[in-house]
Amino acid sequence: MTTPEEPRVRCTQCDRKLETASVTIGYMESSFQVDLLRCPKCGQVFIPEDLALGKMAEVEKQLEDK
Amino acid sequence: MTTELETLQAGTILSTTESVCPECLARIPATRVARGEDVFLRKSCPEHGDIETIVWRGRPAFRTWVRPKNPVHPTKPLKQVDRGCPFDCGLCPDHRQQSCCVLLEVTMRCDLRCAFCFASAGAAGSDPDTAVLAERMRRLFETTGPVNLQLSGGEPCVRDDLPQIASLAREIGFTFVQVNSNGLRLAREADYAQRLRDAGVATVFLQFDGTRDDIHRQMRGRALLAQKIAAIENCAAAGLGVVLVPVVVPGINADNLGEILDFALRRQPVVRGVHFQPVSYFGRYPAPPTDADRITLPEIMAGIEDQSGGRVRVENFRPAGAENALCSFNGTFVSMPDGRLFPLTRPRATTSCCSSTEPVAPKAGSCCAEAETVAPLEASRCSETAPVDGSARARDFVARSWAAPEVREPVAPLPGPSFGEWDVFLARARTHALTISGMAFQDAWTLDLDRLRDCHIHITDPDGATIPFCAYNLTGTDGSGPYRPERPVGK
Repeated sequence: MTTPEEPRVRCTQCDRKLETASVTIGYMESSFQVDLLRCPKCGQVFIPEDLALGKMAEVEKQLEDK
Repeated sequence: MTTELETLQAGTILSTTESVCPECLARIPATRVARGEDVFLRKSCPEHGDIETIVWRGRPAFRTWVRPKNPVHPTKPLKQVDRGCPFDCGLCPDHRQQSCCVLLEVTMRCDLRCAFCFASAGAAGSDPDTAVLAERMRRLFETTGPVNLQLSGGEPCVRDDLPQIASLAREIGFTFVQVNSNGLRLAREADYAQRLRDAGVATVFLQFDGTRDDIHRQMRGRALLAQKIAAIENCAAAGLGVVLVPVVVPGINADNLGEILDFALRRQPVVRGVHFQPVSYFGRYPAPPTDADRITLPEIMAGIEDQSGGRVRVENFRPAGAENALCSFNGTFVSMPDGRLFPLTRPRATTSCCSSTEPVAPKAGSCCAEAETVAPLEASRCSETAPVDGSARARDFVARSWAAPEVREPVAPLPGPSFGEWDVFLARARTHALTISGMAFQDAWTLDLDRLRDCHIHITDPDGATIPFCAYNLTGTDGSGPYRPERPVGK
């Protein structure tokens, strides 16, 4: 698996450079292991646009039910 | 003085509705009565006495199984209210839901003679001409627009011109055409599935009562499992989707639910869903039922959870957004390569937002009067949003979910950075999402006219009327009914 490109993203609260870390995303009742950028101090995770608007939106479309 | 035992036996009256007498089919008042977690339909015919029938056993609790929705009346009702429900179907202006799926019976002939058959189909009979069917489809399209069309029977595949009929349906404008079949011809003729696919059929709604031949022998008269498997394989090769349709009968296949699901999961992506139908007693059936001969929707949901070892949970099933909540359940689950199942349906709220015990029709002034919502994730809760056409949404969902996927193998991840297992899930959601649903048809014992008025599964009859499935197939104990031309009331 490739990791997300490491952009020069800093945590706006802690002013620390984000680091790649294995993060558990909880979605519906399921958990997925994903490598994301995380602040080493406060733990805040950066959700890149590709994930938020692309891949998560793809699943949301699947959720349209009867 | 009433004893505690008598009070318990009498039960609690939850709400009132109307039904019919199974003996004479006269419309009579009815009550929904709870005893513990079970709910019964209780009614009394002045001529034939008291009748009480189980309609809901156990959990999820009857009172929680709600999905309020606003009525959507037919835009072009073909019948006026005269005798009242259920005797003016066509539809009449009082009907509260538009058509989602409409059945067209292209023959009354069948190459099986099943112990259970809503259509009482047999070996003999003549078929309407192709031109007659074309005209009926045109009239239907003018009335309903592009509903999902199911070519049914009898066994529709006994007609050599079935591909031509499907092709005509597509030319007329029906965008989703499915064939309701026992699968015998699909198994026997390797190229038949491809002919249906080429004609524009999307899905085969396949009679599939279980994974054991003793089940098929009891329900259909002979061993059929090998034919079912061959039919599915031929559909897979042709790019037809398959929905497995088990009729569930206590004592015959109620212990086979988990194995049916495993069978379906092993045959993804061609198998798109499993649609369980608790047995109903109309048309041909072995004997008039007792409550022991019935299985209810919550029992099937609980049975699926038990028999799947908890891989599928009751909490991930919910009532549908179009038909009456008490008529069905559905859930969608994505299977991962290692066998895990991820639900695509959120856990259902376990309590109603309404304090009313009435689970069926929204009442003006209640918190549910403005119910059905646009946002599907919140649709089980009350909101202030505008009503939506639940029937149209259900129609689109079925067409999208039950057709074969455009890609048959897991696809490459979407462009962009890789997100590990999330990518696998996304790819599988496009090919390996299985719908698990159930629909409880009503017979003369269980018929609840509140439910019937919300029905969106209809049959187009030879005169062009569009009639709710359960009304069209309604039969009294003598086998007669108000709609089917081959078994009219009056004998």
